[in-house]
Amino acid sequence: QRLKAAVHYTVGCLCGEVEEEKDVQFSKQIIAAISDITFRHCEIFAKDLEMFARHAKRTTITTEDVKLLARRSNSLLKHITKMSEELASSNMEQKEKKKKKSSTAKAERTPGEQESAVTENEDSNMA
Amino acid sequence: MAERGASGFRKDTVDRLLRLHFRDGRTRVNADAQLLMAEFLKVFVREAASRAARQAQAEDLRNVETEQLEKVLPQLLLDF
Repeated sequence: QRLKAAVHYTVGCLCGEVEEEKDVQFSKQIIAAISDITFRHCEIFAKDLEMFARHAKRTTITTEDVKLLARRSNSLLKHITKMSEELASSNMEQKEKKKKKSSTAKAERTPGEQESAVTENEDSNMA
Repeated sequence: MAERGASGFRKDTVDRLLRLHFRDGRTRVNADAQLLMAEFLKVFVREAASRAARQAQAEDLRNVETEQLEKVLPQLLLDF
């Protein structure tokens, strides 16, 4: 199960960061436990995302679905929303560049996630 | 792309992780959603680690073990 190994590796890296930030040491067992929990929770996340998309009569999961997934915590939702806006605006920039190359006016697609940004707090870690 | 030297989940790992559990074979994840999910999972892991670490600190320990994780797990799962 290379996927589990990939998750475990990333979890290890992230725990390493927290170790430095908080000056603590994570045991191997706890890293394995977090990795396992994350892996198993992906099933729940995946099924939720699929259901959201299906509810919207789509087969492709979009950023809107991810935002819905993040609804339980305000700061998480803000963090994810902010990131989705950044992605959307950098996508727009790329499209602008492409438009300039091909000088035909194509139909504009306004992504649905262009909400006015709420004042962002730094506490994306739910401190 | 903002590279803060922080680690995170790779896009295709995330994609495969999710596709493992889709019931419909046609379901896919759009590129931006993949990036968002990678971020989501990263936050999930960091929350788990940070909360367990804080729990250890509250107990005056420097080593974080599964015991601390068990204490913070219920709230973590409710928050996500």
